[in-house]
Amino acid sequence: MSGTHSSLPAPVARVWEPLLERSRSKRALLLMAPLLLFELLLFVAPFLILLRISVTEGSTDLRYAPGTWSLEGYAEVFSTDVLLSAIAYSFKMGLTATAITVVIATGYAYAIWRAEGLLKSVLLFSVILPLLTTLVIKTYAFWPLLSPTGTVNDVLVSLNLISEPIQFVPGTIGVIVGQVYIVLPYAVLAIYSVLSTMDWGLVEAARDLGASRPRASLEIVVPQAMPGIIVATVISFAWSVGAYAAPGLLGAGDDLAFALEVEQRLLSNLQWEVATAYALVMLLLMLVSVAALTAVLNVFGGEFEYA
Amino acid sequence: MSEITLSGLEKRYGDTLAVEDVSVTIDDGELLCLLGPSGSGKSTTLRMLAGLETPTDGTIHIGDEDVTDRPAYERTTATVFQDWALFPHKTVIENVAFGLKMEGVGKTERRERARGMLERVRMESHADENPMNLSGGQKQRVALARALAVNPDVLLLDEPLSNLDKRLSEDMQIELREIHEEFEETFVHVTHDQDEAFTLADRIGIMAEGNLVQVGEPDEVYENPKNRFIEGFLGDTNFVEGTVERTTPDSIRVETELGREVVLSTANPDALTEGTSLTLSLRPEILSTESAESGSEDDATGRPALADGSTTNSIVGTVENVLYRGSTVRYSVAVDGTSMFVERTVADSGEFDAGDEVRISWDGADVLAFRDDGSRVDL
Amino acid sequence: MHRETIEDALFRASYLSILAFMLLPLAVVVVTSFAESGQLLFPPENYSLVHYRGFFEETRWISAFDNSILVGVGTTIVATALGVTAAFGHELDDGRAGQLLAPLVLVPLLIPPIILGISMRVYFVRAGMDASYLSIILAHTLWATPLVYFVMRSVFSRFDWRLLDAARDLGAGPIQSFVYAVLPNVKHGIFVGALLAFIVSLQEFVMALFLSSHNTETIPVVAWTTLRQSLDPMVSVVSTFLILISIGAIAVAAIATNLDWLSKQLS
Repeated sequence: MSGTHSSLPAPVARVWEPLLERSRSKRALLLMAPLLLFELLLFVAPFLILLRISVTEGSTDLRYAPGTWSLEGYAEVFSTDVLLSAIAYSFKMGLTATAITVVIATGYAYAIWRAEGLLKSVLLFSVILPLLTTLVIKTYAFWPLLSPTGTVNDVLVSLNLISEPIQFVPGTIGVIVGQVYIVLPYAVLAIYSVLSTMDWGLVEAARDLGASRPRASLEIVVPQAMPGIIVATVISFAWSVGAYAAPGLLGAGDDLAFALEVEQRLLSNLQWEVATAYALVMLLLMLVSVAALTAVLNVFGGEFEYA
Repeated sequence: MSEITLSGLEKRYGDTLAVEDVSVTIDDGELLCLLGPSGSGKSTTLRMLAGLETPTDGTIHIGDEDVTDRPAYERTTATVFQDWALFPHKTVIENVAFGLKMEGVGKTERRERARGMLERVRMESHADENPMNLSGGQKQRVALARALAVNPDVLLLDEPLSNLDKRLSEDMQIELREIHEEFEETFVHVTHDQDEAFTLADRIGIMAEGNLVQVGEPDEVYENPKNRFIEGFLGDTNFVEGTVERTTPDSIRVETELGREVVLSTANPDALTEGTSLTLSLRPEILSTESAESGSEDDATGRPALADGSTTNSIVGTVENVLYRGSTVRYSVAVDGTSMFVERTVADSGEFDAGDEVRISWDGADVLAFRDDGSRVDL
Repeated sequence: MHRETIEDALFRASYLSILAFMLLPLAVVVVTSFAESGQLLFPPENYSLVHYRGFFEETRWISAFDNSILVGVGTTIVATALGVTAAFGHELDDGRAGQLLAPLVLVPLLIPPIILGISMRVYFVRAGMDASYLSIILAHTLWATPLVYFVMRSVFSRFDWRLLDAARDLGAGPIQSFVYAVLPNVKHGIFVGALLAFIVSLQEFVMALFLSSHNTETIPVVAWTTLRQSLDPMVSVVSTFLILISIGAIAVAAIATNLDWLSKQLS
């Protein structure tokens, strides 16, 4: 250990010194240090504690039994049907919402990209304003629209398209609509930011070579926009699987999402070892699926064939 | 007082070696040009001089002081950057006064001094403009004024003329020369343009792959290039591959790809042994060209005329291409399957057309020869 | 030709219907805030300002409003300071530390807020800091900082670093060179980053729900707890205020950047 750092505790110095050596300037490291420290204290440390609590024994009078070691929490997660089916529900709902979101977002981003002047501003504004509106509020706005006595049903019934009002809300359809609405702005912006750097001349070249317009869009625009589509897919999926507000506000009794279950275990049942184990299992599944999803899209992204 | 000494300067980025070994002493008041292709490490060397990069090895002395680890803001150097790096949010005069402001010079005085400097570069009428609205040449002058305003011991110029068009760049070269004479400061000027270096420099330092290959006065560097790289870099030339066939006490005969042998004169016949492969440089200025019909017929056989001990060589070829380059005309001539080029001024009588037979001749004493490793043969 | 006309019409119809989908819920919120009845109907049968009067009498909403502003401002300050300095450091030197930092900062954005909320709650309860303003600010900072950080990375990557070299070369020290050469050229980016941080904090409710008490609850938390009991037009009133604030923020941002541009052109 060098003399200048003898005041640092040995483990800190072991991490810090290689960083210093690698770094081209100490000043850069000094500037990054506060954020690194912040992430360690407020992200990494809480996660390690979460991990630790997930392997403790349960306790009847406390939230968990500190200092003990046990896999009870995990055993409970894998043996409780309600918990497992909530995970299944969240994944199904997340995948559906993601698929719908990405398709709509790609089209909408394309429309913004092609639009000009006032129309472009209006379309962009329509993406940014919901983004700036509180999640709870924009979700709840679907009640007067989609409930059995809501606007949509009124319109459908008066047009004689349906005889009986359909209960979109509360219900799974409502949850999916709400969730799509929540993630759509992010997805649109992710795709649009990639499209906006793209050269329209490429599409014209494809048309010049005989591709129809929809064909040109599929062959040229989608592969070019792939980096944005991947980002849009990943964020839509991650946030939809973990969705809390949409199932909580727009769901019916059987719309039991993972997020609602984990909240229940943590705040009402006070079973911290189960709640933490459950959250970690879910996180692991989610990260694995995100990785798989990204890998699949990356493979396609290279050479999409629509022949 | 502001003599600069670089010794064993090295700069490494991870595994990449940007500058390998640069040692040179720059005299007080000298204008040194660092000349080299892009990636040769000349700008990195300049940035180390400015204190914007820290060398991984070696030292820099300005005067008697070791400034190797001293940051840019504590050095008495000032830089004119390639894209001039004018502050877009400051007016022209604020840009020029910036260095003085950092020194703590009062507002009135620094405005006055900045205005004086702007007058020197004839930019005083633009003092309150946004530098982004100036033309390239004007930005160049402002950048120069900004660097000179702090009264540096050493002025560093990092390819400042490379973004100007040819005409403007040539005018600025003359102006830089004048400014150098007027301020009597040490200038270090980095460029990749040989003409610029030859116009400006007291001495030229040629860099290649992180090394300072040769330092010398312009004519010395041009006439006595140390290796093949410098010969190729300093101007267009014909490189001809060949093999030593026979040596005599005062000449070396080389079998070449021109399909015949070339005779070099030498005072040092032991420098080469038979069978050594060589690259010969036939610069356009040593070649004289005439119509093949007008030459004496006995030479047409290709026998070198050695009767009087001279080493005049000549070959016959066919003009393939005629390129007009302003005051000169360049002909590319096919000679036995390979191609050479020769130049004539427009004033020279008689132009050639494609298809003409021409005789190219030169004195073997003017030919430079290089070994396979690039080093020059001392003939 | 005919086929292209149909394609055009279809394309236009589809993006206009998405436009309607994007704006309709917001319209619902604003319009229902003017409803007379306590029931949530769209469009309402009669209009009045009765719920607005109610809002100003309800101390819970008013204090939630204060809490939201307090937490938002706190988050903005911490996230902007952390994000700007780190992005600047990263841009100065993309070494090992930078390579570690970027994913570490990004990952919290991808983790569902419910899981972050749980881990934060568990953590702050152990630290004895639960239900404090600070805990909510720190949690929101975890989400807001990546946005500031990535905005600033892209701003700094477009910044001409030779300006910094030039300032140092002319005698400006590390802090002076940042203040005189960098700051004036990136202030728009910092403003946008700070605005994003504020908006993220104003919106976020899952982590706030897990970390707040009755005294520190923010607007979205109150809205959530209210809505889970019954549908209350009061929420529409609050939402209308929030939407107005958002539109105001967009306008301020647009005007601020444009006015600045204008003043530059004039000087």
